[in-house]
Amino acid sequence: MTDLEHMLERQAQWQKSRQSLTWPEKIRMAERVRESVRQLRAQPHPTDLAPDFRIP
Amino acid sequence: MKELAQLLNEMQRVGVIRDYALFGATAQMRYTEPVATLDADVLVAVASADRLDVLGGIYEFCAAKGYRPEGEAIRVGAWPTQFIPAFSPLTQEAMEQAETADFEGVAFRVVRADHLAVIALSVGRAKDLTRILALLESGSVSRDAIKSLAARYDLAEVWQRFESKFLND
Repeated sequence: MTDLEHMLERQAQWQKSRQSLTWPEKIRMAERVRESVRQLRAQPHPTDLAPDFRIP
Repeated sequence: MKELAQLLNEMQRVGVIRDYALFGATAQMRYTEPVATLDADVLVAVASADRLDVLGGIYEFCAAKGYRPEGEAIRVGAWPTQFIPAFSPLTQEAMEQAETADFEGVAFRVVRADHLAVIALSVGRAKDLTRILALLESGSVSRDAIKSLAARYDLAEVWQRFESKFLND
C-alpha cells in the first residue's frame, strides 16, 4: 500500500469512527465547530480583497 | 438541540403547530458523520395556515418564551432555527412520515433518510448533492429507495442524471 493509500485508509477509518457516534454527540461536535465556520464564511472571498485584480 | 426538541413538542402540544420534523444538515447527522452547519431547519405544519403571516403564531409563541429572532431564524439555545412550512407534497410527506427519535431523553421528530435524500435531490445545490452521497455512503438509504421515492415525485430523470454523474463507474 502506498503512502497515499495509507492516508486515505486512515481518513476513511476516522470518518467511520465519527459516524458511529450517537446523534447528540455528533450535534455537539457540529456546535463546537460552528463558530469557526461562521467566521470563515463571514470573511471576504480572496477575490474580494483585490477587486481590480484581473488575470491577464 | 434538546431545548429545540422540547420547544417543538410544546408548540405541538398547545396547538401552535400541527406537526413538525427536523430536516437539513442537523437531521442528516443522525445518519452520517457530523457535518458543518450554522443553523437548524424544521419543517412545520401550522395550525392556522390561513393567516397571512403563516409563521406568525410560531414567532409569537417563541417571543413569549424569550426566544428572539436572529435574521430569518429564531435562536433556540445554541441553534438559530429556521421554521419552514412544508412547501410541497414531498416535504409534506417527509414531515408526516418522520421518525420519532430520542434526543437525550426527549422525543424529536426527524425526517427519514430517504426523504432527506430526495428533498436534497429536488433542491440540487452542490451541498445537497453531497448530502445524498453521504447518506448513501452511511448505508442509511439505498439507491433503489431513492429511485422509487424520486419517481413518485417526478424526479426520476433528475435521479438518473445524478446516478450517471456520481455513481456509475
